Amino acid sequence: MNMILNRSLAPDSEALNNIKIIEGQTITLSNNVDLHYINAGTSDVIKLDLVFDGGVRNQSQNSTATATSSMLREGTKNKSAEQIANELDFYGSYFQTQCTADDSSVTLFCLKKHFASCIPYVLDVINDSVFPENELNIYKKNAQQRLMVNKQRNSFLVRRLFYSSVFGETSPYGTFSEPDDYKNISRENILSFFNDHYKNNVKYLLLSGSIDESVIKTTENVFKGLHKNTYIKNDIVTKGKSCDKVFFDKKDSVQSAIRIGRRIVNRAHPDFRKLQILNMILGGYFGSRLMKNLREEKGLTYGIYSAMESFIDDGCFFIETEINNELRDQGLTEIYREIAILRTELISDSELHLAKNYLLGSFLRSIDGPFSLAERQKILIDFGYGYDYYYEFINMINRITSIELRDLANTYLKEEDLSEIVVGHK
Amino acid sequence: MLNFNYHGVCNGSCYDLEQIVSKCFKTLFLYTNSYKTNNLISYNKFTLKNGLTVLHHEDTSSQLCVLNTLYRVGSKDENPNHTGFAHLFEHLMFGGSINIKDFDSELQKVGGESNAFTSNDITNYYVTLPANNIETGFWLESDRMLSLAFSQESLNVQKNVVIEEFKERYLNQPYGDIWLKLLPLVYKKHPYSWPTIGKDISHIENSSLDDVISFFKRFYSPNNAILSVVGNITLEKTKQLVEKWYNDIPSQIMSREPYPFEPIQTEPKKETFAADVPLDVVVKAYHSCKRMHKDYYTTDLLCDILGTGRSSRLYNSLVKGKKLFSELDCYLTGDIETGLFIIEGKAISGVNIYEAELAINSEIALLIKEGIKIDELQKVKNKAETNIKFNDLGVLNKAMKLAYCEVLGDINLMNTEVDQYSGVETADIIALAKKILNENNCSTLYYLAK
Repeated sequence: MNMILNRSLAPDSEALNNIKIIEGQTITLSNNVDLHYINAGTSDVIKLDLVFDGGVRNQSQNSTATATSSMLREGTKNKSAEQIANELDFYGSYFQTQCTADDSSVTLFCLKKHFASCIPYVLDVINDSVFPENELNIYKKNAQQRLMVNKQRNSFLVRRLFYSSVFGETSPYGTFSEPDDYKNISRENILSFFNDHYKNNVKYLLLSGSIDESVIKTTENVFKGLHKNTYIKNDIVTKGKSCDKVFFDKKDSVQSAIRIGRRIVNRAHPDFRKLQILNMILGGYFGSRLMKNLREEKGLTYGIYSAMESFIDDGCFFIETEINNELRDQGLTEIYREIAILRTELISDSELHLAKNYLLGSFLRSIDGPFSLAERQKILIDFGYGYDYYYEFINMINRITSIELRDLANTYLKEEDLSEIVVGHK
Repeated sequence: MLNFNYHGVCNGSCYDLEQIVSKCFKTLFLYTNSYKTNNLISYNKFTLKNGLTVLHHEDTSSQLCVLNTLYRVGSKDENPNHTGFAHLFEHLMFGGSINIKDFDSELQKVGGESNAFTSNDITNYYVTLPANNIETGFWLESDRMLSLAFSQESLNVQKNVVIEEFKERYLNQPYGDIWLKLLPLVYKKHPYSWPTIGKDISHIENSSLDDVISFFKRFYSPNNAILSVVGNITLEKTKQLVEKWYNDIPSQIMSREPYPFEPIQTEPKKETFAADVPLDVVVKAYHSCKRMHKDYYTTDLLCDILGTGRSSRLYNSLVKGKKLFSELDCYLTGDIETGLFIIEGKAISGVNIYEAELAINSEIALLIKEGIKIDELQKVKNKAETNIKFNDLGVLNKAMKLAYCEVLGDINLMNTEVDQYSGVETADIIALAKKILNENNCSTLYYLAK
């Protein structure tokens, strides 16, 4: 220890070639519903998700799917909204509902010791919700108000405009609620959506946390009377544009929100995972080229990032940032310059090495803890993959070359295929 | 729900910034973890000769290791004419240190990631690494504690980045500047009167390299820091690495003056602003107590009973029953020095904001007059226990909490907070409500639609 420390020399490090994934399990209940579970973590906590075909793609009128999802805690045949909230809070639990373009879910978080007390509320809500008119009116008003505030945010507007542009408004991935849509929601709409998509129509269950025999048994006993979902998902119609240019003028903005991107292959395509690596290098982490160039070298923005987004039946790639109005054109030029460099120049060995290691480390962080593992497991369930999917991804990260990445950029990141949406002031 | 609302501002690789609510930060450190009957969080603590405090917790269920460094410096330590500096300085900590040119690249190269945040009270940095590569974290963190590279170029760039952050999060958002307006109304003398981003963009623009150097000398020394090491790492290895990388960093003489005393408020304070927003908002801020005051847990439970979540009194009476507000929240700022009890409501369009505010006051009066039920208190205690347990998840959370309990001055809080909540009685809640929830102790901000 008396040796003089050489601080300019990095300590030895190891390659990340031994990543272990705690794998989830699946059992089929007597009613044919799959119960997936993952037992992990060091804390006595449980998360239960029930997944339904209650996403935006399944609605025939705007806002119905989100309204139904939000209203699930607002009263059942047996209990009022206030009773449900009070009693679930008494057990210290959290009850959440979520509605996406593809599906919807009902989630319970609680301590293990309260699990058996809380779980009947979930059954009550998904089978016997009544959507009281008074509660619906409160929801409609408050949802409208939230939307009014959100529509003042440039970042909110730019996202909506982007999805509507690349997928088209006929696609569930490009359609959004407007204030009037909330006015038009009726209790009858919601009830019929609920009966078709929730009641006796569960897609699967997913448990994570401190899961043992007794937790599984309790879950089975409560839900064994449910019917498995028989719904056939709607096909989607995409009428998106390519190379769209939109400028939305919002006076008084001090910054412009920008989204540049395109519709692209989704997770089901073999190129998707390779594109994730290319995306990482362009804008997927703090050391990415866009972040280095626009933030760390030029100070044009607080942050810029890019992402690959996979829905069940479609996908997109985008770059997003907020930049000072006066420096917007310089920012745009730099963004396109970075994309062009990916198409024309090979990524250096040292940058590729760094990006690969960062990505592996980041994958390791994404499987730390029971709830992160459950998120990874949900992706596998929804796309029908096994855990090989992740191990192959790790192999692919290790194998991919800079030539492959340049070719990929030439196939997918041509400037003429990219749309550009800007919300700000001229 | 159990979201981490960072108190203050962070360095920036947080891509989900919109989700980090700028208003304030209820749960990050309010609830430290652990649960008495099982899952006791075991930890080790030791101190180096240079004054560095080290905390360690081994978690073999994880493949990761976290190195969390908390410096006892926040925006409350800034000069009133030079605000936002602690946070700007935090950005500069990523701009290269004396022996290492590029902090982030060296970390990313071995699979690691880092970020930081600044609050009123502290500046907190963390690196998360695959456990087998944790030594790289020690190398990087210790070098920037030893000395920064102090480059004018890096300062110029980060000033611009922080100015864009100021605009993105405080100016270019509906209601984004509420805290810029509220804090100076509440605090007349105490340095909590400005937010961590700073009072004004010009303060950031005026920062010089000399300021940076003297700030570093004053606050960034081992005897002003707490290092927590959590993850798949033994105590022995932790000791070996800490000694190897930190032993030779010299300590500094620390001189701190007490913070200016905030005079006791004796009459209501009110202020009105109008902006281009769609709905009227009212914010009521009551002086509360220090984080380590015995009343803190009572205050937190009072806050939950009154206005946290869908079973709370204000939500059921004023959002659902009287339909005066579309959103209504209560939370504590939870600061180390005397903090605030906040009630914040967004009125339904067409509702008179002053009448809506009176309805809040009536609910408070009702609580004081009629008291609360035992069940109501038990409910919020149970909820607190859940929050504590859920915050135990993950090595990063545990590392940040360890360091924070230590800065609060009682590392045992890691395992005793459930008991602190359990000990609160209904009479305590009512007495406290009487004491703090009155207009003479309140600053009210009306943020109106133009």
